Amino acid sequence: MKIETSRFGTIEVPEHAVLTFPSGIIGFPASTRYAILDHDREAPFKWLQSLDDGRLAFVIMDPALFKPDYCPTVTPVLRAHLGAADGDEVAWFVILTIPANQAGPVTANLQGPVAVNLRTRLAAQVILSEEHPIRYPVVECAGGAAVSEPTAQARA
Amino acid sequence: MLVLTRRVGEGITIGPDVRVVVVEVRNGHVRLGVEAPRSVEVHRDEVRARIIQENRQAAAVGSIPVEALRALGRGRGQA
Repeated sequence: MKIETSRFGTIEVPEHAVLTFPSGIIGFPASTRYAILDHDREAPFKWLQSLDDGRLAFVIMDPALFKPDYCPTVTPVLRAHLGAADGDEVAWFVILTIPANQAGPVTANLQGPVAVNLRTRLAAQVILSEEHPIRYPVVECAGGAAVSEPTAQARA
Repeated sequence: MLVLTRRVGEGITIGPDVRVVVVEVRNGHVRLGVEAPRSVEVHRDEVRARIIQENRQAAAVGSIPVEALRALGRGRGQA
């Protein structure tokens, strides 16, 4: 499908790359279809781009890159939400908050991570029952460069 | 909004399988007990509210400190 986005222009997302969030991202229930886009090949973060609202996108990251001991539980309820069969792999991403004017650290929301079933392409933002920081500092912005043009390749 | 008066030990039933009981009332604090199937998520309002607020801020991303984040990924594999 072809989608008009505010950050990446018109992008082409193959059907098999579409992630479905039946409940949306919390606070954004109207967007249920997303794609994960590469910023560029080397960047350790990705974009979670809404396919229902071209202006809506989040920066996401594999939490293992900065907090290897962060290991949310995949509950039976979550597995059911994600249509997970035995042996299905559930991947976790965290949403990053980039401070305006790059003042202060980039933080990650560890309380509300995103779970993705890589086989069914069903995904959900989960509020963990155990307490985690909503603003876990990941890295200082200092020395940061302005946003560069992403290649916006949808990941299969 | 439906408003009901309950005493300690009394409760309300919501739908077929959710029960909320007043456990204790002291100094303006009310302790509630919730009996619900595991498929029903129960969270304090403010946790959800803070996540909505954080999601809104995260969605408002402008420029990205690409180099700082690249340094994080270097030598530790890719996301």
